[in-house]
This record gives sequence, C-alpha cells and structure tokens, in this order.
Amino acid sequence: MEYLEIYVLVISFVLLLILGVPIAYSIGISGTLTLLIHVMPLPAFTTFAQRMATGLDSFALLAIPFFILAGQLMNRGGIALRLIDFAKVLVGRLPGGLAFVNVMANMLFGAISGSAAASASAIGSFMTPKMVEEGYDKPFSAAVNITSATTGLVIPPSNILIVYSLASGGVSIAALFIAGYVPGILTGLLLMGVAAAYAYRKNYPVGEMTGLRAGLIRFFSAVPSLLLLVIVIGGILAGIFTATEASAIAVLYALILALIYGEVRIKDLPEILLKSVRVTSIVLLLVAASIGMSWAMSFANIPQNVSEGLLSISTNKIMILLIINLILLFVGIFMDMTPAVLIFTPIFLPVVADLGVDPVHFGIIMVVNLTVGLCTPPVGSLLFIGCSVANLSIMKVIRPLIPFFIAMIAALMLITYIPALSLWLPRLFGF
Amino acid sequence: MTLRRYLDLFLATFVTILMGVLVVNVLWQVVSRYLVGQPSPFTDELAGFLLIWVGLLGATYITGKKEHLAIDLLHHRLSPEKKVRVNVAINALIALFALAVLVVGGVNLVFITLHLKQLSSALQVPVGYVYLVLPLSGLFIIYYAIYDIVYPQTDDQEQVPEHGQVTEPGRPDR
Repeated sequence: MEYLEIYVLVISFVLLLILGVPIAYSIGISGTLTLLIHVMPLPAFTTFAQRMATGLDSFALLAIPFFILAGQLMNRGGIALRLIDFAKVLVGRLPGGLAFVNVMANMLFGAISGSAAASASAIGSFMTPKMVEEGYDKPFSAAVNITSATTGLVIPPSNILIVYSLASGGVSIAALFIAGYVPGILTGLLLMGVAAAYAYRKNYPVGEMTGLRAGLIRFFSAVPSLLLLVIVIGGILAGIFTATEASAIAVLYALILALIYGEVRIKDLPEILLKSVRVTSIVLLLVAASIGMSWAMSFANIPQNVSEGLLSISTNKIMILLIINLILLFVGIFMDMTPAVLIFTPIFLPVVADLGVDPVHFGIIMVVNLTVGLCTPPVGSLLFIGCSVANLSIMKVIRPLIPFFIAMIAALMLITYIPALSLWLPRLFGF
Repeated sequence: MTLRRYLDLFLATFVTILMGVLVVNVLWQVVSRYLVGQPSPFTDELAGFLLIWVGLLGATYITGKKEHLAIDLLHHRLSPEKKVRVNVAINALIALFALAVLVVGGVNLVFITLHLKQLSSALQVPVGYVYLVLPLSGLFIIYYAIYDIVYPQTDDQEQVPEHGQVTEPGRPDR
C-alpha cells in the first residue's frame, strides 16, 4: 500500500483524539506507530525519546515559560482594574463606551499577560457586572469579552507566535512579534465596530465623564504595567536582547512591580512558580511530542503529499490560502491552537512558501484563524470562561456572538489577502 | 499520607525549585552578557537541560492532575459504565506510550550515551544523566495511569483546569 504510513498516522490520530486521549499523547502514540512500519521497535522508541528531549533543549523555547510566569505575576486583579480605568479614559466617552473599554482592556491585558484565558476571565469578571449595571445586555457583554480576548494572542509578546516560530523551523520571533501589532489592533477595531453598531441601535449610554485630574491619575497609574510591553518589545527591536532574554527581564520587572503593589508576597512565589510550570508543561509536552511526530511525518512524506494534493486542486495563491483557511477554521473548532499550530505549520508552510507567501505573514494568518475556534462550541475555551464569569449558559451567548464572528472572519480575510497589514511594520524595522 | 500524595508533593516541589533555578540562571545570563560582553556557554547549556527536566517532570505532574489538553466530545454522551471503560483505555494507552518510548527508549538512550561517554560541550557532564529524566518521568506517568484506572475520579471530583487567574472560574463543560 503506497500511502500506508499516512493512513496509519491520520486514522490512529483521529481515533485517539475522539476517544479522548490527551492531544500530546495522541501525537506521541500515532507518531510512534507510524515509525514502527519501517523501523524496528527499539531504535524507533529510542529515537522518539531522544527527539522529545532534544526538542525541549532550545533557548528560544525558554521564552514560553518565562512569559507565562511574568503573566502569572501580573494576573493579580489589580492590573486588570488599572487597565480598565486606562481604557475608560481613552474610549469610555464613545457611544457604547463600556463595550469599547472591554475590547481595549482585553487587548492590553492579553498582550501583557500573554493568556487569552486569563484575560477573558479577569476583564470579563470586572466588566460584565458593570456593563449590566449600565443597562447593557448580559449575553452581548459576554460576547464582546469572549471575542476581544483573542486579540491579546496576536498582539505581542505572544507565546503562540513563539510556538509557530519553532514549528516553522526558525522564523524570526522578533519579526513575528512586530508583525502581530497591526492585525491584532485591526481585529480589535472591527470588534469595536460591531459593538458600536449594536450600542447605537440599542441606544446604550455613553460612559460618565471623568475630570481632567482624575483622568490623568487613572491614565498614569496604568503606565508602570504598560511599560512592561515597552521594555520587552522595545528591547527586542532595538537588538538589546533576544526574545528569551526579554522574557526573563519581563519576569524580573513583573515581580518587582507585583511586590511594590503588594499584590504578591515572597511566600506566594512557590505557588506562582508551580502554577507557571503547570501551564507551561501543557505546551512543552505538545512541543516535545510534535517534534517526534514531525520526524515521522517527513518519514511518511506527508508534507509533500499534502502539498501535491493541494496544488492539484489549484495553483492559485488566493484559492490555496482560502482552502487552508477553511481547513484551519474547521480544525480550530475541535482543537486548541497550540497543537494545531504544531501539527499544521510543517504541513502547510512549505505549500504557501512555494507560492510566495512570506512565512511571517503565514504565521499571523494561522494564529488569527485559530483564535476563532477558541470562541466556538464544542471545545472553545474562551467561550466557556467568558460564559462562566458572566454566569450565562452557552446557548444564550451564541446569537450575540454571530456578528462578532463575522467581524473576526472579515479581519482574517483582510489579513490573509493584504500581506502589508502583517509585513509593513516588520519591513519598516528591517526584518 | 499515601504514596500518591508523596509523589505529587515530590514532583511539585522539585519542578518549583527547577523553575526558580531556571529563572535565576537566565537572568544571570543576561547580566553576565553585559558584564563580560558575551553570553556564558554554561548558563546557556544549563538552561536547555533544566527546560528538558521541567518540561518532562511538569508534564508528568499534570498527567496526574489530568490537565493535559484533550478533546472531550465523547465524554458527555457516554453512560457511566462506558465512561469507566473509556477511562481505562485512555490510561492504558498513556501508560503504553510511557513504557515504550519514555522508559524503554529512554533507558536505551541513557545507556548508549553513557557507553559512548558523551559529554556536554560546556558543562562537561555526561549527557546520559540529562536523559535520565525520560525513564524517570515515564515510570511516574505509568504509576499515575494505573492509579487512575484503579481509583478513577468521578465527574464531581474532577479538577478544574486552571489558567492562572485569581478570579478563575470553573469551566462548566469540562
């Protein structure tokens, strides 16, 4: 059988996933099975083990636990309130102001904490009661919160972009980071647009006026937290430090800030470290197993076969990108983004690279695409978190989510077909 | 305290310490680069080794806590008896992978690298010792998998996945 390896890999993987085996183990098991077709058991097991270990031995990968740790130190509630106040000063006076505040606070919090889940949970639990108090629909408020939490995954620093850099075989993390700004902000603006239209129709109130003095105080009290972004991204762009070093600086800065604000005490540190390891290990085991599996995949010629298959349908760049986007949207409905990026980057990147798509651009497309699945049933983690902080059933949120989904898809299409949105800023900085 | 609790405590303490050392190590690397002008090869290599250990032992710990990402489409549609059987199957597969790749493959890898007297380039430690974490985590994962077959968690005891947030709520559907 010509394609035996592909059948074994794909069928065993899908069966394992449906059964409910954790994704990282499913990747490991089907990768090993595929190897066993041609390699004797002992060498196959040994090589797989070695690839898992050496896959983790990467200085670039270190940035992920550190950004997660910095996020854990920053996630202490106080920062969410300061960012909400900051956003209120800037956009609170617009019609539907609180919805704008919700989107903007999520963009900032998501960027700083690096976790969309933490963002949806922290911003949502403060904003939803406030919005309901001012007469906003609860399901609408939850829908704003759920979808805008995705923007922090594209606005740097972003762990998923580091994962993409690894999966793509070394696309510059600095270039990916800076490429994320315009697409992330664009998505946020489109979501604000939907919120504005809804608020206008429902005649929602504008936010209260803050006095100049109070406004300035609120504005500047968020500055130390926002400075983290400036130090990290500024330092990387200026060539002062690598992404990994920047992530370690972020840990130090976040720790000092949290200690000064009194939100973290020294005796909380072991617990925070352990929690970071728990979140990190989910990603690390996926990375380790995927590196084992990518060897099995190339062994089975899967990237080449998929490439030939796709190119036999069409060699038109626009069509191929559309097909890949549709496949990824479908995958995203069932799979979290980290495993999806790890599995599909080595398969799709060679195809689009042949057609002249920049690997940085493709990374942004993949990440923006897969964020949609975080907000959809049956496994969208942001949907669950957003509904649970708003104390709503999932069914109630689906309807108000639809216009926001349309905005997200529109953003995805713009980002896919206007490469300059992703590439203009990195080019400006000489990447 | 049961063996299980001891193992949980040991792994949690160990990965916490490793993570702390990792942070200090990389911060030291940044500082030393500014003082000496070039990154120290020692801290660079140590960071990689620590990450292998943190990654695999951390993954072992959360295998016990059942926090790894999975697609649970099937779970809610099953009768309680079938849930038990599926749980046995999942744990058996995890244990099998741990046995074949991490324990057997890992032990073989440790022996090969020790036999070849392969030393790491900067720290000059035998690479085989670094790889010891593979069989070690493999054995612990097998223990957790068997434990979960013998004493399955029922739905209402299930751990709420944590994403690192004070106000983190439970996920109603997971």
